[in-house]
Amino acid sequence: MSRIPVTILTGFLGAGKTTLLNRILTEQHGLKIAVIENEFGEIGIDHELVINADEELFEMNNGCICCTVRGDLIRILGNLLKRKDKFDHILIETTGLADPGPVVQTFFVDEQLKEKLAVNGVVTLVDAKHILQHIDENGEAEEQIAFADVILLNKCDLATAEELDGLEKRIREVNALATIYRTTRAEIAIDKVMDVGGFNLDRAMEVNPHFLEGGHHHHHSHISSVGIESEGDCDGKKLNDWLSKLVQEKGADIFRMKGVFAVKNQPERVIFQGVHMLIDAASGGPWGNRPRKNSLVFIGRHLDREELNKGFRSCLA
Amino acid sequence: MKNLGTLRADDHILHLAWDADGKRLAVTPSTGEILVVDTSAKVLQRLPGHGMGNGLSSWFHDELATCGFDGKIRWSTQEWKPGRGIIEGVKASPDGVHLAAGQGKALHIFDQSGPTAFSLTALPDVVGDLAWNPANPNEIATVGAGGARMWRLGEKEPYARFDWGGASLQVVWCNSGRWLATTDQTASVHVYDFTRDYPLHIQGFETKVQAMAFSADSKRLVTGGSAVATIWPCTGANGPEGAHPLQIEGHDLDVVAAAFSPVTGQLATGDESGTLLVITFETGQMRRKRARLEAGISAFAWHPERAILAVGQSNGDVLLLSLE
Repeated sequence: MSRIPVTILTGFLGAGKTTLLNRILTEQHGLKIAVIENEFGEIGIDHELVINADEELFEMNNGCICCTVRGDLIRILGNLLKRKDKFDHILIETTGLADPGPVVQTFFVDEQLKEKLAVNGVVTLVDAKHILQHIDENGEAEEQIAFADVILLNKCDLATAEELDGLEKRIREVNALATIYRTTRAEIAIDKVMDVGGFNLDRAMEVNPHFLEGGHHHHHSHISSVGIESEGDCDGKKLNDWLSKLVQEKGADIFRMKGVFAVKNQPERVIFQGVHMLIDAASGGPWGNRPRKNSLVFIGRHLDREELNKGFRSCLA
Repeated sequence: MKNLGTLRADDHILHLAWDADGKRLAVTPSTGEILVVDTSAKVLQRLPGHGMGNGLSSWFHDELATCGFDGKIRWSTQEWKPGRGIIEGVKASPDGVHLAAGQGKALHIFDQSGPTAFSLTALPDVVGDLAWNPANPNEIATVGAGGARMWRLGEKEPYARFDWGGASLQVVWCNSGRWLATTDQTASVHVYDFTRDYPLHIQGFETKVQAMAFSADSKRLVTGGSAVATIWPCTGANGPEGAHPLQIEGHDLDVVAAAFSPVTGQLATGDESGTLLVITFETGQMRRKRARLEAGISAFAWHPERAILAVGQSNGDVLLLSLE
């Protein structure tokens, strides 16, 4: 049974989330979409498919903020999954000030949700006029960018072309992988935000083919992306040990990670993906026409490219 | 087991509740109309659903109070919408005077005329579930992130709290008032002994515990998560601590419903595959009846005065079974 796709919509206060939600709810796209909106959203949307819920954060393991999840989502989604009339897609809007981590983590830790739902993408709306101010004043705005698979640089009519180029550059420093669209009044084809296809490394390479190369750029932020690519097979045990140790020690600073690995004696691709301290491994299916190689990407705070490279190379068979 | 009647509701059965004298059964599906039926499953009343999802219903002053994802509570001729958030359930107090509902970080308390001054807003945590103290109609427990809090009507601060740091999803309070139990997001159960002010953490379940109930005499607690239901003795000075639990086998999938009869003390457990077990306790032994229903079992309600079990299923079917 295929899993129901879930899109997580984030963005700082006033970035245009409600405008985008209204567009998604009113456009003729033929999809039945349930929207879970935060009770304290800026403007409440009165629509039969909108569920209002207060964000209920809790720690799965005492004191570990990396294992913080959304209890309200576990209950609401559990209830939605019971109903006879299923949805084609579920969209979760976070509050403007929310860290998207707990929402994504919820789908890693709850077995029932993991089995029936799949995070299709994190979409972050960015207010082109005010984002720099938000980043300077508030860490959450930057974290929302770091978590994104798709970024809508919205309200572009309020900034000049040079300003927008500068903003894109700044966003790329934080998240080298996300697809960025420039929009006004959140006008965008709905499939661009609803059909993201998850945290996709191939797309990342298309978006930014040079990010694997690293180099010594001046960064405004402590948040950045590190990509590693390497030929040769990995030793499965060494890889598992290294990733486990890495997320235990640095999990708080690793927002998202994904790796596609060629593991010795494994004919299929092996995929690891994680959020903070939570990682999941799965078969990625046959290699097909793709070259058998390892690709790995981290988005996080204070990432040490050299150390990550060294650690990964120690896993090669 | 004799089938007294069946009916099919619009959707997965979320909740079943008999009224105080056992003449009417409230049937609440996940979505769609909420039905009131008699003991032969004949529909007496059809009440409107609550949009995207219904919450748990409750009998209040001889009429059914319903709630749901639309943030509304309907009772008699009245409709209350205390906030924008969803309402996952309403529960009447044991003396029938008040009706409680959690809505985000608010605990609403109603009487027949509407919201009362006992309501609490801007609580530190979301109210995930709530339970009245059957032994004291002025006390109510709420659970959510962090654990459980116990409140007295009219007081703004909890009179007791059990902060264990994780998340409690469901709460039940036994009839004697001694034990309060919560199921957790992790595969565990917390049980609190009010007589000793003592918390007990029961771990080692294979999966998250999805069903939990006390017997009417407060001497047994049943928990169900994986394909095994476990009965914990709650007698003696220490209750379940150090006692030998009884494991009920015979289920095929996760146990998601469990309830004790207030009349016969029998225990019904149901799983996602449709396997129904009815356990009869006799001195020194248990007898077990097993039946296989067409669809997964999702809810039970024992009749308050007779050995009749209402069984709700994931396909919307409701069966009324006589065990007399």
